[in-house]
Amino acid sequence: MVLEGLAADPTLAAGHDLLGRIRADEGDDASAMVSWRAALGCEPGHLGALKGLAFLAFRARDYATAERHLESASHRAPHDASLLTALDRVRAVRPSVHDEAREFDDPANGLLLADADGMRLRGGLGQDAPGAASDAAAAEAGGLLREATRNARLLGLGTVKHLVIESTDARFVVCPVRPDAALMAYRTPSTPTGRLVAMAQRAAGAAEKWLEEMS
Amino acid sequence: MLQRWEQLLSDVVAIPGVRGASLISTEDGLVVAEAAMDELDGNDVAALVSALVSRATRVTRAIHAAPPRLVQLAGDGGTLLGMLADEPLWLVAIAEPGAEIGRLRVLLGDLAGAVT
Amino acid sequence: MRVLEPWVEAPLAEFLRESAARLALITTASGQVIAQHGFTRSLDVMAAATLGAGILATTGELARMVDSPEGFRVVVHQGQQRGVWLAGFDTPRGRWIALVVFGEASTVGLVRLFFHRFVERLAAAAPRSVPVREVLAEGFERELDASLRSLFGGN
Repeated sequence: MVLEGLAADPTLAAGHDLLGRIRADEGDDASAMVSWRAALGCEPGHLGALKGLAFLAFRARDYATAERHLESASHRAPHDASLLTALDRVRAVRPSVHDEAREFDDPANGLLLADADGMRLRGGLGQDAPGAASDAAAAEAGGLLREATRNARLLGLGTVKHLVIESTDARFVVCPVRPDAALMAYRTPSTPTGRLVAMAQRAAGAAEKWLEEMS
Repeated sequence: MLQRWEQLLSDVVAIPGVRGASLISTEDGLVVAEAAMDELDGNDVAALVSALVSRATRVTRAIHAAPPRLVQLAGDGGTLLGMLADEPLWLVAIAEPGAEIGRLRVLLGDLAGAVT
Repeated sequence: MRVLEPWVEAPLAEFLRESAARLALITTASGQVIAQHGFTRSLDVMAAATLGAGILATTGELARMVDSPEGFRVVVHQGQQRGVWLAGFDTPRGRWIALVVFGEASTVGLVRLFFHRFVERLAAAAPRSVPVREVLAEGFERELDASLRSLFGGN
């Protein structure tokens, strides 16, 4: 019946969401993922699809992805207690250092490494930011860090540890990796600032090692 | 008006470890009001923080996010915290290492609404 | 950037980099162009130098009228997309005039901050051996013409 409904109206996000639930219940995670991604394609930010994808990632022990989907959902429904509980649960079981290094390779995880000329070296700013937007952010990252360094020098703040930028719909942390590279971590405001700073600093450590291996 | 703003800023510098606080205009990079900026030139702070906010705005614009409402620059010699009050006015505080930055963030957030 | 006196180059380059100013013109009070950045035609330099000196002179009169006999150190014009910073300042080589044009990448505050540093750097870099020349109003145009020929070539 759901399939017939979707055949009649393939742009119905709720239909894809329902199909995703059915397939997940049947244990067919690959098909469920296809359905929930289709739901997001029809309606970006569809809450049920984000929860479903988080569930699949959690079941596959991909805690970083699960957290990312839950954060996106939580940003859209900040008063949904079940989401906050799920986020706490994912964060509690998620290993940190190893995960950060691996997470860095996936552009969808909101970690971006840029060189001093503003060229993107690795990563990206999440699934909501296409490559062009990530490149544009990388182009600004070097200049932002230079400005932060100038502020710190002239205002007696010493060496820059990190810079936090918050807006109503985004939260960034920029860390110097080496004099020739900057790391930017980007999440929605549902991620606590302290946690994002810790994530960015760990990722900066991983990036530094990677740069050393490259040179 | 200026007296009320200076009163707000004096609440900020009452937090232990805060070296100074100012209300700046990021439009022209000039200081509007300041408190306890003895060791720092308030005009320098206004100019530099405005440039930082301008750079931060370029980053948020690059990914189509809303403009910044907070910047926090942490160095090993202290922290700078800027909070959007009433565009283009920003509340800015500079704190020594070890100052209660969490408390400072909350206070600046509360005071930002009082700057109109 | 073009400079008539090489020791001006490093402080001016630093000022332009730090302030993100678009155009800069440094002249002596007598009209000799010391350095310029961003102007492509000598005619524009001539007009900017003459207008800048004229604005400073007229605001000086205004300063006297409002009982500020030392004059205004800086005159700022702020437009929608461009601003102009015009300042008379003392150097070991006499009184000079700076005309700085800045855009959206900068602010009055940023130009102010780094202009003060520029003046300090100039004072430190200035050679002491050359005597300061007397400023004569009637020599302004002649000095301007001569320095423009040096900066832009003979025509």
